[in-house]
Amino acid sequence: MDTVFIDGLSYGIPLLCIAIGGIYSERSGIINLALEGLLGMGAFTGSLFVAFFGGFFVQHSSVPMYFAFLFAMIGGALFAMLHGLLCVKLKANQVISGVVINILAIAFTGFFTRQLNSQVFGQPSDRINLGVSVRFDIPFLSDIPIIGAAFQRVYPFQLVIIAVVVLSWYLLYKTRFGMRLRACGDNPHAVDGAGISVAKTRFVAVMISGALAGLGGMSYAYSIAASFSPGIYMGTGYLAIAALIFGNWRIMPTVAACMLFGFARSGGQRLSHLLELPASYSDLIFTLPYVVTLLVLIFFSKSNKAPRALGEIYDKGKR
Amino acid sequence: MKIKRLLRSIIGGEKRQAFIIPLLAIFCSLVVSALLLLSMGRNPFVAFQSILAGAGVLAKPNYAGGRGMVTDIMMTLAALTPMIFASLAVTVAFKGGLFNIGISGQMLFSGFLATILVGYSDLPSYVAIPLVLIVGAVAGALVGGLIGILKSKFNINEVVSSIMLNYIIMYVISFFILTRYVDSITRNSSAINASARLVFQNFMIGPYRAVLPVFIILAIGAAIAIKFFLDRTRMGFDLRTVGLNTQAARYLGISPQLNIMFAMTFSGALAGIAGVMHYLGYNDMIPPGSLSSIGFDAIAVALLGNLNPIGTIFAAALITVISQGTTYMSSVLDIQREIAQVITGLILLFSACGAFLRQLLSRTGERTE
Amino acid sequence: MENIIEVKNITKAFPGIIANNDISLEIRRGEIYALLGENGAGKSTLMNILFGLYKPDRGDIILRGERVIISSPAHAASMSIGMVHQHFRLVEDFSIAENIVLGIEPKHRFLGILPYVGMTSVNRKIAQLSRDLGLDVDPEMKVSDAGVSIRQRVEILKMLYRNAEILIFDEPTAMLAPQEIAYLLKILKNLKEQGKTIILITHKLSEVKEIADRCGILNRGRLIGVYDVASTSASDMAAYMVGRELDDELPPPPQDFGDVVLDVSNMSVAQRGLKCVDDVSFSVRAGEVFAIAGVDGNGQKELADALAGLIDVSGGSIMLSGQDMTRASVRQRIEAGLSYVPEDRHGIGLILDFPLRHNLALRRYYVSPFCVNGVFKESVFDDFSTGLIENFDIRCGQGGHTVTRSMSGGNQQKAIVAREIELASKLMIFVQPTRGLDIGATRAIHKHIMRQREAGHAIFLISMELDEIRVLADTIGVIYDGRINRIAPARELSTEEIGEYMMGVKV
Repeated sequence: MDTVFIDGLSYGIPLLCIAIGGIYSERSGIINLALEGLLGMGAFTGSLFVAFFGGFFVQHSSVPMYFAFLFAMIGGALFAMLHGLLCVKLKANQVISGVVINILAIAFTGFFTRQLNSQVFGQPSDRINLGVSVRFDIPFLSDIPIIGAAFQRVYPFQLVIIAVVVLSWYLLYKTRFGMRLRACGDNPHAVDGAGISVAKTRFVAVMISGALAGLGGMSYAYSIAASFSPGIYMGTGYLAIAALIFGNWRIMPTVAACMLFGFARSGGQRLSHLLELPASYSDLIFTLPYVVTLLVLIFFSKSNKAPRALGEIYDKGKR
Repeated sequence: MKIKRLLRSIIGGEKRQAFIIPLLAIFCSLVVSALLLLSMGRNPFVAFQSILAGAGVLAKPNYAGGRGMVTDIMMTLAALTPMIFASLAVTVAFKGGLFNIGISGQMLFSGFLATILVGYSDLPSYVAIPLVLIVGAVAGALVGGLIGILKSKFNINEVVSSIMLNYIIMYVISFFILTRYVDSITRNSSAINASARLVFQNFMIGPYRAVLPVFIILAIGAAIAIKFFLDRTRMGFDLRTVGLNTQAARYLGISPQLNIMFAMTFSGALAGIAGVMHYLGYNDMIPPGSLSSIGFDAIAVALLGNLNPIGTIFAAALITVISQGTTYMSSVLDIQREIAQVITGLILLFSACGAFLRQLLSRTGERTE
Repeated sequence: MENIIEVKNITKAFPGIIANNDISLEIRRGEIYALLGENGAGKSTLMNILFGLYKPDRGDIILRGERVIISSPAHAASMSIGMVHQHFRLVEDFSIAENIVLGIEPKHRFLGILPYVGMTSVNRKIAQLSRDLGLDVDPEMKVSDAGVSIRQRVEILKMLYRNAEILIFDEPTAMLAPQEIAYLLKILKNLKEQGKTIILITHKLSEVKEIADRCGILNRGRLIGVYDVASTSASDMAAYMVGRELDDELPPPPQDFGDVVLDVSNMSVAQRGLKCVDDVSFSVRAGEVFAIAGVDGNGQKELADALAGLIDVSGGSIMLSGQDMTRASVRQRIEAGLSYVPEDRHGIGLILDFPLRHNLALRRYYVSPFCVNGVFKESVFDDFSTGLIENFDIRCGQGGHTVTRSMSGGNQQKAIVAREIELASKLMIFVQPTRGLDIGATRAIHKHIMRQREAGHAIFLISMELDEIRVLADTIGVIYDGRINRIAPARELSTEEIGEYMMGVKV
């Protein structure tokens, strides 16, 4: 039972981080299917830092990891600018732009990882090894029966992300910036009329989205994957989108959705372990989050209320 | 304003736009790729030349015994066949207002079903080949239709549902291949019987050995037929109407639900044929745990082809030449072959901007009050 | 009196049209200045220039004696110019107060550090402001729950909250009922008394007569003249506006009606659990124009959609020439003799990316001779569209091959009307058939409707414009909150009485 909690959170919390990134973009009116590519680009940037500068730190130091997280956020945000450019400036179809960004990210990171490995590090491989982050128990809380498991063997990034989530909630619902961002997703004409640049607000929203996706992606690279490789593109970005749709584009319900997906995955793995199924059955277990997503969407998508201006290209000239 | 006018004079009227804008997209992506290659100290002209040579469009300086340009070009045509079908699948869905990003999953599903139902049987060619095509189309149509039902009955965005299905199909089929159909040496699914294969192997053309991708003719025929279907038939008209304006379709008594399901089923069937052309034609086995990149490249092709079935043929040829020619290029220049994906991605990126250019130009021509 | 704002020799061209041609105006502090003109005369363009949305190609703006360049709406607001657009710019998801402060949100700090937006004092201030002007607005109400009139008052408050002195109103009465219009005009007078300068864009002469001090008349981008309202007659103003003398349109001459074509009894329509058409019964006879009057959003759209088969009814029945059509599909109804000119011509009436020849054939394309065995006969489409283009005088650059999107609004509407009239259906439904069209196009469409009436078709008309109903209708039904509370021959209903039913004062 404990492992279900622990693994579920270690998968669900980064997913939440990516989903909140998606909320930022979509509440500002920009559909963001690019999350998958953004999380990969972010993780790639962070891993690059470790690959080049990790050696300068004392062994087993966790400092490079924190730098990696920082760079992942920067990398994600920078790459997200491309999505912003296409959607906001060039008025491209937002769905197409998202898919383009994903394909480009997979191609770029795959190519450069291989190219760097063979040219710089002299060993042909498609991955940058990172290792797994240290984990720790939170004192006192982890001793509580049953729910204490949620506080055992915690990755540091989980705490960072939880802080980010709280901050995001505050930023989105309580501040000027958040208010304007939400207004952009509802009626950009009102925002423009109030003398605020819709383009800028949306651009920043997309960049935040990229930074959060990068943070989430890096978390996977330092936990489940223990490396950066094209294997990081396992559809998490799309799951995050499903989670935020399920959460009706609001932060709190999205938290619940992400936890559900996390526990569906860890619960499934635990079940196959208990039933002593052979390893090949893990392929079937991996389908669980996707199946759950589809079922959830089937039952809930009717009651969905997307931001009113979502996907609408804002054109000043039009009335 | 000046730049706009200049662009207009280059690009010209609507008819010319259809050609010029994709060419601009290709040109821009080649420039960026060239810069990328230059920055890594490679000569981009050598690179592009060796891509063409690798795909059999230009001659290589030397060939292994029994091989020649014709060997390479036939191989490229074999790879082109599924690409055309996959791009037509994207186009048909697009015309119906839908974005079928699940083509890779539909291809894998149809390829797998055809492999186990027909590929491993002892049926003679004249039975097996039609059967493979039928199983492929039906299997793809089933998956596409499911996405269509989810969209029209449950209001689930087709992009999200098809991606979920992609992963489900990938993992489930990987499970079946690894537990039942695995070849113990290659770790792929066991090779199908030659009688069921859609690309005929080991033909001698003059002194050269080559494959014979006969179904390229079917692919070109399909493109022409779909062009006719979309432009000149009632069903195609209904589909385009729903794609352009669902509300207007309802007002006219055209059912958006039915047409969404139809468009996705049709698109899925085409993707299914692409699947058998790839897994039982160009290849003869299925690697577990991965989706073919054709389904995603097809999006680039369809956009580049201006969502016109005929344009798709040319765009597909370009993208296929790049991906086929890169192996040779990477050995000539000592560069990773994933560069092909990067170039394709760049073309896709600029094609997406092309839509913007077109829109910009059509809007300046409009009257404003 | 001093001029608060002057425009001098303003010229603004768009591709293919000169919207403002060398216009000069002087507006005095504290007056109500009306800007009259038909659609496309250039009124909105001029005001959008004043509001910083467009940059003029030539000419100057002089504000309080100084030459200024107004670069954006925010810049205009900072110079105390405010504007209420025809289409309100409100965030549905926000409260009224949040909408008002958007862009100048009050910043507070939690524990002296964390910045946040605090609404308490704003709510109080807005409630006060609203009371002072008699606007009657609850600052904490969500905009999505507010009706048109309240939304308009929110837009007014938005300007006043920013201390605007020059208030521009773009066709503010277009969406309002007579009583709401009276209320708005009273508010405008209040604002004038408080020393605000008001520029009123309109094409309704009665409003100009009632409240404006002076009026400038525009025609095809040029300023025709500036007139003192008190000393100029309404008919003169109308003539200046159109650029020629216009005959008055008269109510339809009496005509004998034929059999009942449309018979609706006890019909109800529910959308998302809300009843928007509630137990309505009426009938329309051959040769009769039956018009529904009402304020926008009282169930008219749903009523028309239900008759045409776009949405299901939740109760009652629809009979078309004696056939039960309650559950029939759209196509069955069309084939049984129904035409429908919908309100939203861009949204559902046309496929803008199709060529005109396809749009004209949208009702017939699927049957012979247009389509044989599922395949189109292109020459039939060409002949058919050429015929309609000629008969209905549709102006289009490349004939049937013109992309519909590139046509003007009036010609797009003519295309829809042509398509629907060509069906020669027994029942023709027109919803807001002349909305947004200039007088010329409006007259043309009215003539087409009257011709169909003479030919013995039953006409069901929905309009928000009482003037239009006055010149077309034989019988008027007034709708309020989904119910038709009064049905009577047009000559028996006074405008005041219709207004009272429209507002739900009388039921």
